[in-house]
Amino acid sequence: MNIDIKEQNGTYIATLSGWLDTNEATQFLEDIKPLEDNIEKSIIIDCKELEYVCSLALRGLLKLRKQSAANGGSLVLKNVTGEVQKILTLTGFIKLFDII
Amino acid sequence: MESIVFWGFNLYAWITILTVLSMFTVLLFTKLRADLVFLGAISILFVTGVLTAKEAFSGFSSTSVVIIGVLFVVVAGLTYTGVLQWIVKHLLGQPSSYSKAVVRLMLPVAALSSFLSNTTVVALFVGIVKMWSKKLNVSPSKLLIPLSYASGMGGVCTLIGTPPNLIISGLYAEKTGVAMNVLATTIPGLFCLFIGMLSIIAMRKLLPYRQAPESAFESTSEYTVELLVPSDNPHVGETVEEAGLMNVRGGNLIEVIHFDEMVSPALSDELVMGGDRLIYSGQIDEILDLKESHGLVNADHMVFTMSEVDKNRQLRTAYVNFGSSLINKKMSGTSFEKDNNMILVAVARRGKRINEPPREVLLQAGDTLLLECPPHLNIQASGSFSQVHFFDSDQVPNIGKKTLISTTIMIAMVTLSALNIIPLLQCAFLAAMAMLIFKCCNVDQAMKSINWEILMVFAGSVVLGVAIQKTGIAERLAFGILDVCGTNPIVVMTAICLVGTFITEFISNTAAGAMFFPIMYEAAEKLGYEPYPFLIALMVSVSSSFATPIGSPTHMLVYGPGGYRFSDFMRIGLLMNFIILAANIFIVNIIYPLTPLNP
Repeated sequence: MNIDIKEQNGTYIATLSGWLDTNEATQFLEDIKPLEDNIEKSIIIDCKELEYVCSLALRGLLKLRKQSAANGGSLVLKNVTGEVQKILTLTGFIKLFDII
Repeated sequence: MESIVFWGFNLYAWITILTVLSMFTVLLFTKLRADLVFLGAISILFVTGVLTAKEAFSGFSSTSVVIIGVLFVVVAGLTYTGVLQWIVKHLLGQPSSYSKAVVRLMLPVAALSSFLSNTTVVALFVGIVKMWSKKLNVSPSKLLIPLSYASGMGGVCTLIGTPPNLIISGLYAEKTGVAMNVLATTIPGLFCLFIGMLSIIAMRKLLPYRQAPESAFESTSEYTVELLVPSDNPHVGETVEEAGLMNVRGGNLIEVIHFDEMVSPALSDELVMGGDRLIYSGQIDEILDLKESHGLVNADHMVFTMSEVDKNRQLRTAYVNFGSSLINKKMSGTSFEKDNNMILVAVARRGKRINEPPREVLLQAGDTLLLECPPHLNIQASGSFSQVHFFDSDQVPNIGKKTLISTTIMIAMVTLSALNIIPLLQCAFLAAMAMLIFKCCNVDQAMKSINWEILMVFAGSVVLGVAIQKTGIAERLAFGILDVCGTNPIVVMTAICLVGTFITEFISNTAAGAMFFPIMYEAAEKLGYEPYPFLIALMVSVSSSFATPIGSPTHMLVYGPGGYRFSDFMRIGLLMNFIILAANIFIVNIIYPLTPLNP
C-alpha cells in the first residue's frame, strides 16, 4: 500500500494505491497524520488505485472525516470503484462520506 | 467354495463374518445411514453367493417386518388423537418423594411402551418430565434416565412393544411353525421392570445431578446471541457506546466481528459497521429486543436491508441428535438454517454457555440449540427432524371422542391377538385400517409415520440372521459356547444373554436380536432343550441396553435434555445390565421351566 499526499491550492490530495489490509493499517494511520494537522482544510482521498480497504483503515478515515467536519474542513473520497466500493456499501460507510 | 474350510468355517461363512464385522465397524465409526450400511451388507452376501435371491430379500417379506411397518400407522392414530397426552395429564400427579416419583413415572411409561414405540413415548415424556421435575424440585437428570429405562423395560412386556421381540418371535414362528403369544414376555418383562424400579430407587445416588440445559436460557450470562448490523442501520459509524449497543438491558456486548477481523473483547469505542456481527452474552429474550430497538437482525446470512427483519417468529429449544449430520460442524458451514427456515441464536453444552459466536461453535451430540423458527413449524415435515430434537412439540392433539376410539382399537388389537382369535399380522392391518377409517389420523400422517429407514434396518437384520444360520456360524458359535460353558442350560442361557446385553449397547437391539436368535436356538437344541424359554430370555436381554447413550434411541432422546455425559449412563447402566440379566434368567426359568426336546 502506498500513500502520496500533495497540496494543491490549499487542498490536500492523498492518493492511495494497492492493498490496504489490517497489516498495513497501522502504518496507514501514521501516514495520514499530516492530514490531521491540516484538518480544517479541504482533503480529497483519491482511491483510484486502491484495491482493498480494511475495517481498521475505514475507522481511521471516518475519524478523520468527523474531525474535519468539526473543524470546518471537508473530506471527500474520489474515484471509489471495485472492491473498495463494495466494502463501503456493505459497511454502510458509503453514506457517511461525500464521494465525487 | 463350501468345501474350503478354514478354522472350521467355509468360505461363505468367512465372507459373512467379515461382512458383519465390517458392517458394525462402519456403523460405529462413520455417520453413514444405517439402512444403507445394511443394504450394502446384503448386497455383498447376495453377490458373493452366500445368499440366494429369495434369502436376500426374505427380510422385506418377513411377517415381523411387515407388522412393524403397519404398527407405525396404528401408533400414529394413537399419537394424533392425544392418548399419550391424556395419560400423562392424569397419571403423573404430585408425588411426595423421589421414590414415589420414580414409580409414578416408570409405570405409565412402561405400560405405554409395551404397546407403542418406545421412542414416541419417550419423545413425548421428555418435555413433560422436565416441567414435572421443576415442580417437584428434582433435577431432570434424576428422572430422565429412569424414563428411558422404563420405556425399554416396558417395551419388552409384549411382542409388539419392541422390534427385537417381533423379529425373534417371527423367526421362531418361521422355524417351528408355532406363533408366540403376544403376551409371552409380559410376566418376565413386568418382573424385570419391578426389579429395575427398585434398583433405580436404591441406586439413585448414581444418577447424576445436572443442571437442566435450557435453564441456562432462562438465566443471565449463560448464553451468547449473535446479531447482525444491516448496512442501512442508523447507528453505522457511531461507536458501540454512542449507539447504546455496549451495555444493553439483559446483557453485554462481548465481541464484534467486522467483515475482516474479530474484536474481542469488544471495546466501547469500537465503530459500528454494516455487516458487523455483534456477539452478546446474557438474557436471550431481552437481547433480542435489540432487533426492534436498534434495527439489528439475526445473523443467518448477509443481510443488508431492514426489510428482511421478520418479527413474526418464535424461539424453540432443540437438541442435536446422535448421528446428526450437524455433529462436528459449525452452523455457519451448513445449509441447515436455510433449508429449515430457522436461525440459530444460542448454543449451550451441558447447561453452560459456550463462549463463542453460536454459529461458529463446533456442534456436538446433545448440544442445546435455541432456534428462531417460523410460527407454525411442521417439525415432522421439515428436514430438521433427523438432525435435532425439539424439546417442545408443536403438535397439539385434540383430546376427545377419537382418543377413546383409538384406544379401543389398540386394546382390541392386543386382545384379539393375545387370545389367538386373529393372528397379530391381520390384527395390525385391521387396526391400522380402523385408525384411518375412524380418522384417528389421515393418510398423509399415516404415510409420514412409517419410518422406512428403521424398516430397512429391520429387514436387513433378518437377512443377516439368515446368513449367520445358513453358513453354520450360528452352529459353530453355539458349539463354542457349549465348550466354554459346559452343558448346564442355565449357564449357557446366561452366557448368551450376557453377551447379547453388551453387544446391544453398541448395535441396534433389533440387529442383536436377529444375530443372536440362531445362536441361542442352536445352543438350546444342542443341549437338548426346547428353545422357547431361551428365546424369551434373549428378548429381554437384547432390549436391556442401559450402559451407553447409544445403546437405545430413547437414551439419545434424554441425553441432551438431561445434560448428561457419556459416563453417566455407564455408572448406573453397567450395574443395571447385571441386575436385569439376573432377574431375567431367574424369572424366565420360573415361568417357562426348561423342557427337554422330545427325541
